[in-house]
Amino acid sequence: MRSGSRIHSLAAGAFLLALLSLGVLAMSVSTEDLIVRRSGDLIRVTAPRLHFITGKSLQRLHDGSIVPFDFQLSIASGTRSNVIQRAFERFTVSYDVWEERFSVVRLRDFRKSASNLSASAAESWCLENILAQTPALPADRQLWARLEVRSAESKEPSSSPYADPGISITTLIGIFSRPPRPAQDHWSLESSAFHLSDLKP
Amino acid sequence: MKFALLQILATAALLAQSTEPSSREPADPNINSRYTVESIGFTGQSHYRLSTGAIEEMHRLIGAKVSTEALNRLARRIRSELRATEVTFKLARGGEPNHVKVLLEVDKRKSNFDLSIPAFSYQSRQGWTGVAEAATTFGANTLTAGALSDGDTLAERYTGFKIRYDRLSFGTDRIRLGFEFDSYHELYDRATLTALDNASSSSLGAGAYRSRTDFEPSATFVLAKPLTLTVGLSFEQMQPQVSAAHSESANAVINTLRYHQRWENSDATNQELDAGYNLRAATRSIGSDLSYIRHLVNAHYGLRHEHQSVEVTLTAGVIYGHAPLFERFVLGNSSTLRGWNKYDVDPIGGNRVVHGSVTYGYHIMRVFYDTGSVWDQGKSPEARHSAGIGVSSGLGIFHKGAFLLAVAFPIRQGRADPVFIAGMNF
Repeated sequence: MRSGSRIHSLAAGAFLLALLSLGVLAMSVSTEDLIVRRSGDLIRVTAPRLHFITGKSLQRLHDGSIVPFDFQLSIASGTRSNVIQRAFERFTVSYDVWEERFSVVRLRDFRKSASNLSASAAESWCLENILAQTPALPADRQLWARLEVRSAESKEPSSSPYADPGISITTLIGIFSRPPRPAQDHWSLESSAFHLSDLKP
Repeated sequence: MKFALLQILATAALLAQSTEPSSREPADPNINSRYTVESIGFTGQSHYRLSTGAIEEMHRLIGAKVSTEALNRLARRIRSELRATEVTFKLARGGEPNHVKVLLEVDKRKSNFDLSIPAFSYQSRQGWTGVAEAATTFGANTLTAGALSDGDTLAERYTGFKIRYDRLSFGTDRIRLGFEFDSYHELYDRATLTALDNASSSSLGAGAYRSRTDFEPSATFVLAKPLTLTVGLSFEQMQPQVSAAHSESANAVINTLRYHQRWENSDATNQELDAGYNLRAATRSIGSDLSYIRHLVNAHYGLRHEHQSVEVTLTAGVIYGHAPLFERFVLGNSSTLRGWNKYDVDPIGGNRVVHGSVTYGYHIMRVFYDTGSVWDQGKSPEARHSAGIGVSSGLGIFHKGAFLLAVAFPIRQGRADPVFIAGMNF
């Protein structure tokens, strides 16, 4: 009788774990979806299957609001957990209600912006502008790239990024040091292992 | 040493990055900031009463370029004024090219469950009074349950619970419905019991009762925005002290006309007027054992200018017929004739009352003067006065949740017996 109830509780636990895993998978993209490229002394990433201008964020954009997205690109060496370099950016997306096109601004540098974009072009532009530096990376060791994207929470107007224009690297480090909130949209992608020498400059 | 130097350089580089944008910040990252605001309104058919300041702010934004920061500031202000859960804005194409309409969306949903202490007070002579409430809202319906023990407002201390259902709109937002059920157990001061035993007041409708229940259905009509009329019935049943005796009922028609207006002339000056007339008419035609008519008029005016405030409160009431103890007027508590003991003033209350109060405030300091009289028809009124000093939380007179700590003195010849008063939300 006791072993029967134990089996039931194990089954329930496994079911919950499966549900949780499905939830995590729903917000993840497979490792092959993050493609690493070398561009001189810079490392760029592309993710053709990543679409973050969707759902509630897209609705807010269509309503004329700005929606910020926070990015963290980390490079690990030797093992996946040995992060040797991180890059942070916040991109603010808006949607032109007349032109029906998207615009993106890199918030720590207003001169870096693009407009008249489709949703996928706006997403690509964000990825093109988050960069890692190659000189700091070991040429002979196995490397992994990991990209995290979070939509900044903006339930309260006061918490909009524009209310805090002085968004800094330090703030972004703080943001990514915490796990995302349950209601916060987030995506996480990892590349397969690569060597710096394998990447075409 | 080398690593320390690298760390310092890295930190310096990060700081340089972080301070970079502040030097050329003012641009709005919203692409729509190049468009001109054509109009500002609310979504749906909603109409809200806003302060003059908020309306002026809206007018300033119309004709200007879209500013996310300015619109967020306006949304925060409206949220505060309407006590809404959230106010957001949407942009839509305007009637003319390069113009946009701003639509404000107000979410007035309250949380599903609220716990609150709407009133708490302590008076060193009469003890404490407290009300605790739990409310749940579903759609336009609110269900409130509360427990209270009030030894302040009436000649008796009544302890018990109340349950209230409110339908916040009935076909239209101008009509609200309410149903309340109260059940209280009564306790009396010795002075009140003695006075009841020697009751010479021919106007007293019922003696001491050990408990009472009340069922009160009502409807409130918004006549014109600041003016409301509440009509309803009150079915009050009183259980006598001696269980063998029959219970008595005081079933009454109730009407309340209320006017509440607030003016904000500028950021520094606010005025508020709250005035009401309440009629309770118990008649045998609706099964009442007691027959009486009770009129009560009250008015409260407040003026605040910068750190100074003045409040004036006036109350007058009259009862014709034989009203029970809970309907009779009482002075000498935490809000009237502060400093006097209500059992010294009149332990069973009276059927006539006049009271006035003036409070001057500067920052958190408060100085007040109360005067009034409660008496029975046929007797001559005796004017009493009191004064006090204290501190209050909110600098404004309109702040809810304010608390007051005060020492009050009855003004009379001979000795001065100070009374300590502490209260919240009363």
